[in-house]
Amino acid sequence: MLDLLVIGAGLSGLTTALAAAEAGLTVRIVAKGLGALHWSAGTIDVLGYLPGAPFAVEEPFAAIAQLPERHPYRILGAERVAASLRRFQTLIAQAGLDYTGAPDLARNQLLPSAVGAMRPIFLAPAAQQHGDTQASAPMLIVGVAGLRDFYPELVAENLAKQGIHARAAFVPWESVADQRDRNNMQLAIGLDDPAQRRKLAQALKGLMRPGERIGMPAILGMADHAAVMAELEAATGATLFEVPTLPPSVPGARLHAALRNALRARAVRLESNMEAIGFGVDEGPQGAHVAWVETATSARPLRHQARAYVLATGGVLGGGFTSDPTGRFWERIFDLPLTVPQDRRAWFRPAFLDTAGQPVFHGGVAVDDHLQPLDGAGSRVFANLWAVGGALADADPIMERSMEGIAIATGMVAAAHVAASLRTRAATVAAA
Amino acid sequence: MASNTIEASAFPIAWESVDHSLDECIKCNICTMYCPVSAVTDLFAGPKYSGPQADRFRASDQPHSPDHGVDYCSGCRVCNDVCPTGVKIAEINARARAQIVQDRGMPLRNRLLGRNELMGKAGQYTPRIANFALHNPLSRVLAEKLVGIARKAPLPRWSLTGSFGQWMQRTRTRRLRSDKKVVYFHGCATMYYEPFIGKAAVAVLEHNGFEVIVPPQNCCGLPMLSNGEFKAAAGYHRSNVARLAGFARAGLPVVGTSTSCTLTLKEEAPELLDMHDAGSTALKQGTWDIFEFLADLDARGELRTDFRTLPLNLPYHAPCQQRAHRVGKPALQILSQVPGITLHESHARCCGIAGTYGYKVEKYQIGMDVGEELFQFVREHAAGTEFTACDTETCRWQLEHATGIASRHPIEILAAAYGLYNLETRELT
Ligand code: SF4
Ligand code: SF4
Repeated sequence: MLDLLVIGAGLSGLTTALAAAEAGLTVRIVAKGLGALHWSAGTIDVLGYLPGAPFAVEEPFAAIAQLPERHPYRILGAERVAASLRRFQTLIAQAGLDYTGAPDLARNQLLPSAVGAMRPIFLAPAAQQHGDTQASAPMLIVGVAGLRDFYPELVAENLAKQGIHARAAFVPWESVADQRDRNNMQLAIGLDDPAQRRKLAQALKGLMRPGERIGMPAILGMADHAAVMAELEAATGATLFEVPTLPPSVPGARLHAALRNALRARAVRLESNMEAIGFGVDEGPQGAHVAWVETATSARPLRHQARAYVLATGGVLGGGFTSDPTGRFWERIFDLPLTVPQDRRAWFRPAFLDTAGQPVFHGGVAVDDHLQPLDGAGSRVFANLWAVGGALADADPIMERSMEGIAIATGMVAAAHVAASLRTRAATVAAA
Repeated sequence: MASNTIEASAFPIAWESVDHSLDECIKCNICTMYCPVSAVTDLFAGPKYSGPQADRFRASDQPHSPDHGVDYCSGCRVCNDVCPTGVKIAEINARARAQIVQDRGMPLRNRLLGRNELMGKAGQYTPRIANFALHNPLSRVLAEKLVGIARKAPLPRWSLTGSFGQWMQRTRTRRLRSDKKVVYFHGCATMYYEPFIGKAAVAVLEHNGFEVIVPPQNCCGLPMLSNGEFKAAAGYHRSNVARLAGFARAGLPVVGTSTSCTLTLKEEAPELLDMHDAGSTALKQGTWDIFEFLADLDARGELRTDFRTLPLNLPYHAPCQQRAHRVGKPALQILSQVPGITLHESHARCCGIAGTYGYKVEKYQIGMDVGEELFQFVREHAAGTEFTACDTETCRWQLEHATGIASRHPIEILAAAYGLYNLETRELT
């Protein structure tokens, strides 16, 4: 039997599975589709804004104390959050992707977004690093003529409004692709071909002014990303950085691919297109256990049995929750109690961009100190079920800019709890 | 497991209709990132654009599809596999193609490719003549010029030793009788071109104590479905339901070796054709892909594991149709128990043939470009590799065509592992 079944293939599910496999557990991931990583900027945001505060957070771990009491970061404690992120940085580097943060690894960096806003980011792909808005070198934001998902003039203009030296320019479409109508991912794969990137280097050279650093849409290579960056920098003699694009987002896809490869190397299967549609319960001496989870197939449901289960299906955004027109809100798989207001009128505040966030995004699955879901009376719903990532209550990952940090930290810690709990159970069985 | 297991399905299974699923699209473009066809050609805009996006303009009072490029969708379903919200993109595209066919008719070539069963029957009595007629260089050039079947595409050859049905007939007195019974769905390729696949399946099933019943049956209708001929496909499906649903109702598993046929019986035909009558549903629920069936036996500890050592370096590709069953890769699970086999799992998206797609002259090269990822994987493992393994016949032919390495159905490998089958000669031992 499997040790652990993870449901969901976003960052929290992948991280949980990887950490659990590292701890020696046998793990499988089932997911309805591939997760939200593909539309993310590929950055690891830990805590960018505190609820209601107008300014960005400078030191995310120090700011954790100011979060609501049952916020996932408060449950874990700042020390474990920081340790989880350091461990993630190591694991992802082993998987071939370099992520870097501020030199002290305690502060956020401010990097330009797809519209030229400054985003408070904790860890960024090395390729985004030189977009640091605190550095003084002027920026040349280069777009590709005809690319629909990146607007260099918008980026440069917004950066300039914030006092950063930036101007925009275009390279012709032919410098990145022979075929028309390519998306970001296809362009990135195309640039893995050395001949194609020589054309791009040539085009860039004609645009530069001395001293400028070049910002390009995040399409600079897929499998050979590091080599593409290095070669373009060598050919142009300029510092290069990537700016995230509209989805599909290549840095997110690179992160997904690196994690997927790390999981394959540890014999963890990621089964997508396997939607969880039911489960069974065992009443044991320690209370109710999840006995199995079923996924939809082309005919009859397929049953998966594991000793432990981790729910990593996300919240409203990831599709882990759904609602009906009466205002009822529920968690899709186990129908876990949610702290989301069960009244439509209480879902939103009047202002769309209210800095206090929206109640509907703040609610979720309430958990105990071990990240195990609780019922309304405060008892564990199932002895062998954990929840991670966007599904957790008392956080608003979008407003806080804490999505990836919560996913990683809760994933790492839940995996450790699962491993410990299975060890205890094995010891009890052995003793008996 | 403790005794009082409560069956708690949180919510009833909603088999959302194809058309409604487009409302689930959140425009994330993940499908576009993974579609193997739009990655290699400009002629196809990709799943999101041709699927949920264009479908908004394909209302019943809107006679013409806004996007003719949809015909370049190969139907591989990679998009369905990765879509986070469950949009049935490949099915939306298949319906759009059927609408185009309805609007402006269908080329003779697609009509021919859709009639696998008829072609099979036509050639079976004079296979040498039929093979010559189909395979000589002149006729291939003519077929390309006149009807548009690519001259290099890997077309099958008729069996020279008679059809699978004839073999069953010939050996009927030697077949196992048992209380445990399964119905075997052979599909057209096993019937007329590759009877050895059926023999291997029968041998494996009998080895595990099952009596194998082979009732009269039709083509599953998939070649017609993928060429947009829905009406004719519905006829085939109705006939299969009439002939097989009774067995399913009686609790007999209907087991098939052609993973695209079993997928069609389970899901493609009922879903694309909106055939959700009791018979279709009984057949859907009662149909098993053969390794899905064997893995289920294995899970219950009922699969025989008296394997011989089979020293093989075996790259395995689970084809698109097998993955669309959404049951994992049970062939890997079973074959990994055979001593001596070193399995290499392909993660390539598609071999490019996608049923009859790669046979068409305007799509042959696209198919080969799509398959490159898989061919590359095979080439990486070519040293010391005698065979590759793959569950779908057309994909095996494509793999052999592109890599020059012989390809086998995993059931042939398993039959050999039981000592019942010769992988070289493809004969029972
Ligand atoms: S993956 Fe699914 S939800 Fe995303 S754009 Fe494609 S069809 Fe729409
Ligand atoms: S079925 Fe295959 S070819 Fe067609 S849109 Fe989906 S991924 Fe692309």
